[in-house]
Amino acid sequence: MIDFSVYGEQTPHISGWRCQKCGTLYYPAPMVCRKCDSMRDPTTNKGWEEFDLEGPCTLLTWTRVWNLPEGFNKKFLLFGMVEFGNGLRASGRIEMEGDPAIGMKLTAKTIEADERPGKPVKVFVFS
Amino acid sequence: MAPRVGIVGIGHCRFGNSSDYDLVDVIAYSANAAFKDAGGLALRKEVDQVIVGNMASGLFNRETAVASALVSRMDMEPCPAELVENGPASGASAIKMGYMAIASGMADVVLVAAGEVMRAVTGWEATDIVATMAHKEAEYNMGLTLPGFAGMVTRLYMEKYGLTERDLALVAVKDHANGAKNIYSHVQLPVTIDAIADGPSAGVVNNYVAEPLRMYSTCPVTDGSAALILVNMDSPKAKLFKKKPVRIAGIGSATDTHVVHNREDPLVLKAVKISSDRAYKMAGIGPKDISFAELHDAFVIFELMNSEEVGFFERGTSFLAVRNHETDIGGRLPINPSGGLKAKGHPVGGTGVSQVFELVRQLRGEAEEGRQVKDPKYGMAVNFGGFGNNVITTILAKD
Amino acid sequence: MAIDELEKKLRPPEVQLAPYPSKVITLASGETMVVRECRREDVPALLGTVYPLIEVAKDYYDVVACRMYNEILSWYRYRIANMFTLVGSVNGEIAGIVTSRHVDSHLGMSLHTLTIKRGLRVGAQLFAAKMEHHLEFLKEDEVWIVAESPIGFKRWMIEYELEDRSSQYPAVRHELGGVPTFVLTRKLWDAVKAVKNTGTRPVPPEVLKTADKLKMPNEYVQLPGWKRNA
Ligand SMILES: [Zn+2]
Repeated sequence: MIDFSVYGEQTPHISGWRCQKCGTLYYPAPMVCRKCDSMRDPTTNKGWEEFDLEGPCTLLTWTRVWNLPEGFNKKFLLFGMVEFGNGLRASGRIEMEGDPAIGMKLTAKTIEADERPGKPVKVFVFS
Repeated sequence: MAPRVGIVGIGHCRFGNSSDYDLVDVIAYSANAAFKDAGGLALRKEVDQVIVGNMASGLFNRETAVASALVSRMDMEPCPAELVENGPASGASAIKMGYMAIASGMADVVLVAAGEVMRAVTGWEATDIVATMAHKEAEYNMGLTLPGFAGMVTRLYMEKYGLTERDLALVAVKDHANGAKNIYSHVQLPVTIDAIADGPSAGVVNNYVAEPLRMYSTCPVTDGSAALILVNMDSPKAKLFKKKPVRIAGIGSATDTHVVHNREDPLVLKAVKISSDRAYKMAGIGPKDISFAELHDAFVIFELMNSEEVGFFERGTSFLAVRNHETDIGGRLPINPSGGLKAKGHPVGGTGVSQVFELVRQLRGEAEEGRQVKDPKYGMAVNFGGFGNNVITTILAKD
Repeated sequence: MAIDELEKKLRPPEVQLAPYPSKVITLASGETMVVRECRREDVPALLGTVYPLIEVAKDYYDVVACRMYNEILSWYRYRIANMFTLVGSVNGEIAGIVTSRHVDSHLGMSLHTLTIKRGLRVGAQLFAAKMEHHLEFLKEDEVWIVAESPIGFKRWMIEYELEDRSSQYPAVRHELGGVPTFVLTRKLWDAVKAVKNTGTRPVPPEVLKTADKLKMPNEYVQLPGWKRNA
């Protein structure tokens, strides 16, 4: 039977991962658990729980990049590294006016971006 | 007991823009120069193994199998030849593989040649190609680049240790002063602290690249190559070469997490510490024995952080040593006498061999006037693959 | 000198342009570059500086040099209206030249940017100075921009986030052959000028004096081995 849900409007998400055997959290996905050596088979993800990584986070550091790579026809973009309440960290873009500040509370969401050739990719936006 | 491995020939091209030339020719140019230095081009027939270092010829130049092309271009068939890729540390990895080939007993003479022609593409494309070594899903796809990560880490360092933008500029002033005297350097231009940090036009002249990093805290996009001839110093073949060998005393390498945000403390370059510890151990020496060092300063923050990780300075104090001119040519411990990646340039896959080329020149006493380190005994090179996640430290000794 | 009637008819109508106040920029090397508006007596040095680059195909120096030679000569011979030329010089030696034209009180037409001294962002500083003249001193509303070199053009387009008006062709059509037109509006300028435009005024008289009589470079990095009068 066709899975008709694939035709709906999808909200993009970026996943965090939990090893079900020992509970260790990961982002991005590992192929083996560093704590209990459980392997992850990316075709089934059996033994691993996938969850949406988003919401409140704290800014660890940031930069404003003025010489962006090919495809990004913008004067500059802000980037940052954040930490979520569960201890996971992520890097992504920041959207705000003015300068961010280390330690500020932000909210992470996921967008689809297509600056580069090829399929659109999922990008964290912290705002 | 492993044989002693020495460097008996060195070659280098003038770094800069070689985009009118084919990558293989650019690398072969330095290889020819190395044979000439060692005693003559006929010596290429004595080579048992060719190792080529290159990061991304497939992307920059649409050329692959560069090692096979090189042996043929240099009339060295049927000599075995392989390509080593370890991002911007491909060069140092090629030297390490050359060392291993001799240490294993499989070869007595090895040609190590490395290079990159990045300016075949635009600066924007080059930035993108270099960024492909970051984690695809968690870093590259976000639009993050190496300057971006370096900017974020520099900000953390500033917050924690009180480093200023002026301190970054002081590193650049030192590197450019050295690079201006190096005939192989890409940028042979001294810069002044007034012009790039203190004066009224400094903010525009030395524009931001990835805040708080500015243009003069970042290496240029550079083409170039370098080559070395390694020999088993204990084999009869060593006598074929006229130059006194400069001995490879220690090589250490180590890796760290691919994803930068997954490092417990992004200010700790664990792979640099471990690789240098391994190199010191193999050489039987410590940081205090090092006379001078070439440290991978694709961004000047790396020069500072590297100099702390390898044990030259306490964590968070390296920039004070720069303020005190301790790392100048005439200082207590000269760092990047070649001009470093900052001024000499950073043709990614070629850099590691270029750094060791400089160590040999200094240890032979062949550097240009005004940038020759006084009576050096041990020289160290640190070469980064990725954002400090695959690091090779090489120590050479003047016996 | 009396101008005959026919020549009078051939000359373009001129408006008196506000002068560009000279400024001085310290380049990364520590050298000081004086940026000032060119006068008629500068023309021999300007033409002599531009001419050798006509044979440099790399980076479109040939096209830019030909066109700039034409512009400066046409200005000297009164065949182009309301043009201005700014020159950057280091110890009097020409480091770069920019040309541009005031169309009317609303519009400026950016012509060419020629970098002689490479590696010190001389071209970037002079391009910014040209925009400064259009928007700050001539007080136009916007400047139309094209470029011959793809790299140069991309640099302006991205770094200034220029507005792309190419879809409005032919209503919006730059004078240089009608190639796609991008626009620096006052709003865009205000957003970048702090990071793009620099220079100190007034220029100390002894520094300004160094730029009084312009010198042609004797060598060019763009022309390896070439020497003036060799
Ligand atoms: Zn587990």
